[in-house]
Amino acid sequence: VRTVFDSFGAPFFQRAAIEAVLVGALAGVVGVHVLLRRLPFFVVAMSHATFPGIVLAGVLGFSLFVGGIGAGLLVVLAVVALGAVRTIDDSSAIGVVLAGSFAVGVLVLSSQPGGSKDLSAFLVGQILTVTAADIITTVVVGLLLLVVLAALHKEFIHGAFDPAGLGALGYSTRALDLVMLVVITVALVTTVPVVGTLLSVALLSIPALAARQWVERVAPMMILAAAIGAGSGLLGLCISAALDVAAGGAIALTAAAVFALSAVLRSPSSPITRMVRLRPVAEAA
Amino acid sequence: VIRQLLFEPYQLGFMRRALFEVLLLGVLGGVVGVHVLVRQLAFLTEALQHTVFPGIAIAFAAGQSLLLGAAAAALVTIVLLVVLTDNVRIDHDAGLAVLVATFFALGVVIVSRRSGYTADLNQLLFGRILDVDRRQLADTVVIVAFVLALVAVTHKQLVLVAFDRAQAEALGYRVALLDLVVNIAVACTVVVAVRAVGTVLVVAFIVTPAAAARLLGRSIGATMGVAVVMACALGWVGLSASFEASVNHGVRLASGATIVATFTVGFCLVGVAARLVRGVGARRVGVGVGVGEAEA
Repeated sequence: VRTVFDSFGAPFFQRAAIEAVLVGALAGVVGVHVLLRRLPFFVVAMSHATFPGIVLAGVLGFSLFVGGIGAGLLVVLAVVALGAVRTIDDSSAIGVVLAGSFAVGVLVLSSQPGGSKDLSAFLVGQILTVTAADIITTVVVGLLLLVVLAALHKEFIHGAFDPAGLGALGYSTRALDLVMLVVITVALVTTVPVVGTLLSVALLSIPALAARQWVERVAPMMILAAAIGAGSGLLGLCISAALDVAAGGAIALTAAAVFALSAVLRSPSSPITRMVRLRPVAEAA
Repeated sequence: VIRQLLFEPYQLGFMRRALFEVLLLGVLGGVVGVHVLVRQLAFLTEALQHTVFPGIAIAFAAGQSLLLGAAAAALVTIVLLVVLTDNVRIDHDAGLAVLVATFFALGVVIVSRRSGYTADLNQLLFGRILDVDRRQLADTVVIVAFVLALVAVTHKQLVLVAFDRAQAEALGYRVALLDLVVNIAVACTVVVAVRAVGTVLVVAFIVTPAAAARLLGRSIGATMGVAVVMACALGWVGLSASFEASVNHGVRLASGATIVATFTVGFCLVGVAARLVRGVGARRVGVGVGVGEAEA
């Protein structure tokens, strides 16, 4: 415990803690949308798909954000195009694109001298090297995403539960879906420096799932998910400092532990559920 | 020139063993992949390749067989998935996402406990197909034979269940048991392929050749045949290309990733070709349309 308090004295650790909290909260909010629209597989796919863009950006020395988002948008287009081929269903299209683009990222890195060290940084994150500029980027991007989500909140929720009804009201569901996918992709790229490419799905789904065990309504779920995400970020970082393990892995495992605890406490047979039965437990969506 | 590219590297013992391993995995991936596609299990496959990671990480740290570690982790995944989706308010995909993230994080944490872990991490993530030895080849042969026998014996039932669950149940087939057979086949394939191509690229061996073959094949059998041929041929080309680039041109290309990239290029070519053919001729009525409509 003492080492953890000591490490808070170091500026790099303070920056890492701020970044972990910010990203955890943002991912918690966006994660609720991921769940409502049943997009976890999309998130897993995008986390692989943005990889070559992030690698290219790292190798050529421009912003990881631009690289990741650029590659992500390309892949969204590729999935849509493949889906248009009748005989390929969505999940296999995603599977093919995912593996292919990941291989491209690995190829680019493997041809670079000293590539293997960078590779693991991209894969599992390197939160301890976060700079003040990174934090400002996270704040700006995060606020932007939250504004978009707040402005279109009603439409997004309606579209998640009843796309046909939303279309009948005259909204373009396609455009809304696309905006949602872009929001998720941007949020995902934001999480990469914290937990790495392969674990971004952890922050974008686990806090939201844990929150879902406790509340039914969407807005409280988002607040709770943001709190769980931020808490897991901070606690995971401390655990990683105390036990000397990879920070990204520790953060993801902390979130998973919160989820497991929530699931056990709120399972139909648990005493807490029986005591605090405020509303009938609805079927899982 | 072609002879030089495709045959010369294999005078070296380690390249020959790598080629055998790729061909074996190609056969297995092609056959199992078609089952994965008709049942839309791509996400399960993707999830399994990540969840076996802590298994191989623990086995690696303890100096045990990676195969055993991977198999144990795959088993735990499938059991946990059933428990999660039955008891917690969570749907199947979200459950898989949680398992993927948790297991992968566990693997990363375990590996990161070792000093100088980046090299180990890379080996576990991307495999070392060029380090395949005789014993590993023998293991692969046994598992490939087991899975192929399993799938061949239950072929008719598996296909029926994939396309028409209700009727299969009405005919008295044990659907849950047949689902288990498919899951075991996928798990075995992932487990045996993980050592060679690593834990993030396995899904390509299963999904990509089969998806390409489905654009061409008219029946399940034919699709499997095309998938196997494509996987083996493209695997051969990819392995040769990585050797050629690394040895003769000084561009280091990781062999596993090169093979997967070759698969993807092959898939794109087949896709474009199929599009052109269909644009010219009348719409073909074949297994493809039926498959698209059969929701698993």
